[in-house]
Amino acid sequence: MGHLIGKKYCQEHVLEVAKGIALAVHKAPQITGKTTVDAEIIWGEDLEPIIEVMGPVGAVMRYVGWDHETLKRCYEKGESPVVVAIGAKVSRSNLGWNCGACGFDTCAEFNAYAKEHQGGGQLGGPSCNWKILDWAMACDWACAAAWQHRVDNRIMGSLGFALTALGYMPDMDVKIGLALGPPREMVYYSREEMHKTMTYEMDKQDMINCVPTLFTAFPGGGTPMYKTKNDWWAPPEFMGIGYSPEIMEVMQKVLFEQVPEIVVKHASKIEQRYKKKE
Amino acid sequence: MKKYVEDLDFSGEEYVSEWTPWSPQDIRRKKGVLEAARLMLDAALTAPFAGGVPSIEGHIVYGQEELETVARKVEEIAHTNETWKEPFLYEAVMVRDSDVILFIGNTRCHETPLDAGCGLCGGVLDCSYFYERKTQKYGLVDITDRSSKRMINGPLCTARVGDLGYAVGSALWTAHTLMVDARAFASVGMAGQKLGYCPRSGMVVGVPVAAKSKNPYVDVNVDYHLINMDKVLDNTRKIYQTARIIRGFDYRKWIPKPKKTEGEDK
Repeated sequence: MGHLIGKKYCQEHVLEVAKGIALAVHKAPQITGKTTVDAEIIWGEDLEPIIEVMGPVGAVMRYVGWDHETLKRCYEKGESPVVVAIGAKVSRSNLGWNCGACGFDTCAEFNAYAKEHQGGGQLGGPSCNWKILDWAMACDWACAAAWQHRVDNRIMGSLGFALTALGYMPDMDVKIGLALGPPREMVYYSREEMHKTMTYEMDKQDMINCVPTLFTAFPGGGTPMYKTKNDWWAPPEFMGIGYSPEIMEVMQKVLFEQVPEIVVKHASKIEQRYKKKE
Repeated sequence: MKKYVEDLDFSGEEYVSEWTPWSPQDIRRKKGVLEAARLMLDAALTAPFAGGVPSIEGHIVYGQEELETVARKVEEIAHTNETWKEPFLYEAVMVRDSDVILFIGNTRCHETPLDAGCGLCGGVLDCSYFYERKTQKYGLVDITDRSSKRMINGPLCTARVGDLGYAVGSALWTAHTLMVDARAFASVGMAGQKLGYCPRSGMVVGVPVAAKSKNPYVDVNVDYHLINMDKVLDNTRKIYQTARIIRGFDYRKWIPKPKKTEGEDK
């Protein structure tokens, strides 16, 4: 007997769905059968450091910014998303296939290179491509399992960056996050949370920056005008190409000052959780 | 609306059985698997991809000769690497035991990377690991020289390889949902790529699909390339025929009977 009213219980059930998704990650088929894949579930207050560390990166990288704002706004409204972190060990090959996909003739040469360069990329790397395939199949099964449960979800490289920076899943060398819920339509697609954050001018400028061919005038002269306004010829405007010290300075500041400051605040607490009990 | 006689001709019967192989009833069964493979490919195309960029192509292959060609290529590759030898020879048997092969490839991993500087390929903070090892001008990769001493002409954009994994994952999820058996194989993918399937791809995964009473991709015995259903059946033909010729009676005149035991009615 019972009577459930409202949707708080749906919000709570997202966590149960996340457990089912973690199960799907472990059950996912592999090509090699030799890739270690793991999943963890993070929600509520434990999302705070993750949201915080995504902030400065989001300020300089739009897709991270959108993920950050969506997660933050949902959390602040009391509708915490649940994050399924999916990691794998991909930076060494124990296959002996010598297939060449990584760019080296042999797995031994790749492993020697990987030892020197491990974790040097924003999301990890270097990687054995067959192990990346295994990991990606597990990530895809996580997404498919979420859709099967009709929970709005999006797999986010931005969450992968935050998990890596903060030291989650220390034994895994590549990570990504699947954000789940809250229980409503279109949380992570079309993004209602982001309504009215972007002006018409920003949207239009984005299109001009990112899809320039649509806005290019006759290119035969070699330096085509850009059609950024109705009377685009008066006066004409041209796209400039060159090194941007301003952009690079901001990027350096985010990656090597702001992110480490946030990581220092939270990392030891997270590290403690992975310490083996005596 | 004009009605045609064939519009009203909706009756019939379809007998379906997996025995005997390549009989009409078996081919009807295979056609169901072909439909499943088509849906698996549709699912592969809708998987989540980095930046939502289309980069997946699929190739569906079926037919006795076609599968035999793939199986032989897998066997050829098996003998190029001691590590591959035994598992790939087993997998060639699985190819012959399949109904349809779905090849899924990524058309961008070798030519048009994600260019996001993720570092997954080489562990550096930009895309230099990939571009420095490719023939390219101002970021445009020249793929016209397709010769390679390696099985796969790497390096590849690992983010795009990840997309390929998502596509294969969705295809396999759909196979599970449709209750047909399927498994993703590196061996079959490399064989398919060498045979020219998924012609625009830098990396290909092979997904054989089958709908038989026994899943062809699990529970295999040791020396599976030597001891499998095809070999067992062929051996039966070999042994039984010979067993027949070493006896003699004219069944119209006399058939040997078991000897009556004592106390049994005469």
